[in-house]
Amino acid sequence: MADEIKELGNFKEAVQAEDLIFSYSTNTGSDVLAVDHVSFSIARGEYIAVLGRNGSGKSTLAKLINLLEYPDDGKIKVFELDAADEENFWTIRSHCGMVFQNPDNQIVGTTVEEDVAFGPENLSVPLPELAQRVSKALGYVGLLEKADKQPSSLSGGQKQKLAIAGVLAMQPEILILDESTSMLDPKARDEFLQLVSRMREDKKISVIHITHDMHEAFLADRVIVLERGQVRLCDTPSEVFSQVETIRRLGLELPKWAELLWEVATICNVKVDKSAFTSEEKAIEEICSIVKNKKADLEKIDLPKKPPLSDKVVLRVSGLSHSYEKKETKAISDIHFDVRKGEILAVIGHSGSGKTTLISHLNGILRPLEGQVEVLDEESGEYLSTAKNAEIKKIRRHVGLLFQYPEHQLFEETVEKDIMFGPKKMGFSEERCKQLLQESIPLVGLSEDVLGRSPFELSGGQKRRVAFAGILAMDPDVLVLDEPAAGLDPVGQNEIFGYIQTLKEKGKSIILVSHDMDKAAKIADRILVLMKGEQVFFGTPRELFSEKTDFLRMRLDRPLLMNTMLKLKKEFPYADEFEFDCHRAAVSLLFGNEEVSPS
Amino acid sequence: MIKDVSIGRYYQADSVLHRLDPRVKVFLFIVYMVTVFLADTAIAMATSFAVILYLTFLSRIPVLEVLKSVRPIVFIMIFIFILNLFTNRAGQTLWSWGFLVITDDGLKRAVLLAFRLFLLILVTGLLLSLTTTPLKLADALESLGSPLKVIHVPVNEMAMTISIALRFIPTLVEETDKIMKAQSSRGAEYDTGNIFQRAKGYVTVLVPLFVSAFKRAEELATAMDARCYRGGVGKTKLHPLRMKGSDWLWMVLLTATAFLPVLVDLLWKIK
Repeated sequence: MADEIKELGNFKEAVQAEDLIFSYSTNTGSDVLAVDHVSFSIARGEYIAVLGRNGSGKSTLAKLINLLEYPDDGKIKVFELDAADEENFWTIRSHCGMVFQNPDNQIVGTTVEEDVAFGPENLSVPLPELAQRVSKALGYVGLLEKADKQPSSLSGGQKQKLAIAGVLAMQPEILILDESTSMLDPKARDEFLQLVSRMREDKKISVIHITHDMHEAFLADRVIVLERGQVRLCDTPSEVFSQVETIRRLGLELPKWAELLWEVATICNVKVDKSAFTSEEKAIEEICSIVKNKKADLEKIDLPKKPPLSDKVVLRVSGLSHSYEKKETKAISDIHFDVRKGEILAVIGHSGSGKTTLISHLNGILRPLEGQVEVLDEESGEYLSTAKNAEIKKIRRHVGLLFQYPEHQLFEETVEKDIMFGPKKMGFSEERCKQLLQESIPLVGLSEDVLGRSPFELSGGQKRRVAFAGILAMDPDVLVLDEPAAGLDPVGQNEIFGYIQTLKEKGKSIILVSHDMDKAAKIADRILVLMKGEQVFFGTPRELFSEKTDFLRMRLDRPLLMNTMLKLKKEFPYADEFEFDCHRAAVSLLFGNEEVSPS
Repeated sequence: MIKDVSIGRYYQADSVLHRLDPRVKVFLFIVYMVTVFLADTAIAMATSFAVILYLTFLSRIPVLEVLKSVRPIVFIMIFIFILNLFTNRAGQTLWSWGFLVITDDGLKRAVLLAFRLFLLILVTGLLLSLTTTPLKLADALESLGSPLKVIHVPVNEMAMTISIALRFIPTLVEETDKIMKAQSSRGAEYDTGNIFQRAKGYVTVLVPLFVSAFKRAEELATAMDARCYRGGVGKTKLHPLRMKGSDWLWMVLLTATAFLPVLVDLLWKIK
């Protein structure tokens, strides 16, 4: 094959696409236009972020670049070579590296070094160069000491680094990241992004980064926003995000500072020049001027006060410790907390901090080795203990547990049967099962016409909702949700958080595991922070981020909104930086809170 | 519980047998199988056993660990022993009760066959499963099978398939565990009820497992495409199998050792 790969000349344009069209046929036989008259170009060394809702054609566009797909119509040149010319096939593909979303599904090798070698082996790179490339790539990403380990022994972040090493060993000119950071926790995500930017500096490669994260998009030179296969916006990040209305209409999120400016401007009914949305500094300036010049007769907005926590404890964990076989260190140790009726408790911690172990205890999937987990049985008013075999089934009815990516657990022929699996197993009558089904589907935004369909033909977001409904249909008092919005686009994420809010209002208690500090701080009544299996904090978001709590020691970042608010506080000392919702924060800037009013 | 599943029973150690080229081990395995079958006298069997003890010594694996590999077939050994004990009627009767007769020939034959099976299992363990990782074994089979490419057997692809299967075993085991936990949360029970109820319960695990395995396969295929995979054509190898001088030496030595029982038996008969 080596002779089929040509040396790349001194090209300037990495990708030139002209009027690309691509459609694919679905199982149902209809054609879907995934890429619709798309034109763009990417210069050598440029960093492009591609945004858009799920199904907007982002991944397909990426696949057209490294020739995993061919356009139905239109022209694409990669490295100034015509992609339609078969002679250029291996030259183009071998210089385009791609890192996918799911770390597990792109590792081929049985050991770490063999996986890195896979690409160059296919390119017929001979020894000893092959071995040099492998060790160099592994050294670059910092996995050299893991060379002979099995990939399954790596963490998610390490697996994505391994994927990068596999690409590096092929000496790419273009790196395509297809939502590569979406399954990583914040720390691993930062490390991954740092690695990518280091590569860009060292090797001058072009990067095409498909993402849902607006803050990641801000790192790019240019942003392309897709909607239904068409390019809607294509410009520098600050230009793109200054098109506030378009961004919102396309279902994308604004950076927190932009959202705050938007809220302030909307309340005061002021028109803001789009230049104010190009950077945080400008936005802060603009907010300052709006607040200072607000009309005297501006009608004061009264925010609903957060109702106090109920006294009724529905779940109680005391002195809980657990260690897995053969391991001396404890997965979790000495955990104490309670959950009140109608409360949202957020559980926060990095990968490996024991979150999964903890939540597996809450409905008796794991039994306590030390300590106790007790669940209130509202009918009898007594507490059930997960330590007692006879009470496990009852506990599972009271505590519904939804693991990460729950769509992977669907198995029935129809959505209806799948949702009713739980309630039937709980021994509810046929009639009650039907009733619970009817009650649960609107709570997650599903309509009745999906009930007869197979869950496997639904979209990812729909499947997630079906799995969610399957837990709700058991009518639990306590819901334990592990990253319920992971992998969804911003609209999908906000919908899920909306359902959670509704459930809270219906009196359900919710334990929410989340990486997203802004969302957790905004929605939670209290937060539990785990670090290496130990409970390092349990209290309200306000207490967590106040000066007396050393949250930096817990390796947590402040919510992004709070960072902006702290900067504004210099100008408006009465503002409440502990409002974690943009609307509430805007109100506090304009009107202050009851205790400290602006004068 | 389910996480302890391992494929084969590789025992990590640093020994001559572990380091030996896997192709040599496959070759030796065949040689030892033949010579164990050739041994059919007490003296030959005893020598065979001594030779295998020597292999155990070379492998640096504790004797107890080696013996453990026999455990799964103890039942078959007993079955073969009893079958031969009662069906062989030649020779002198030692004991009889109704239709059950034990003769001296039958006893000899029964002991011989059961012991032969025992030795075969030990040889398999020492030369293959205990000292060779499944991946190395796949490499060896790929290399030894390469002449078959002439008749269009997709040897490289088969080896790739085996190696990917090995790579995904831990992933799928983990996934099974996750699905079981999720379904348990929905009230599924896997350890109660009769055998049919339990089997039915596993449908809730198997369906999602298969669905996800297919999805993984599809994504993996795309990822392999993106990394320029195109079968075995022109593929180089990071760790190609290479016969070293010591491999040749051990091959000759251990082949010779394998024929020791035959030789001893022959000398015994001549005397």
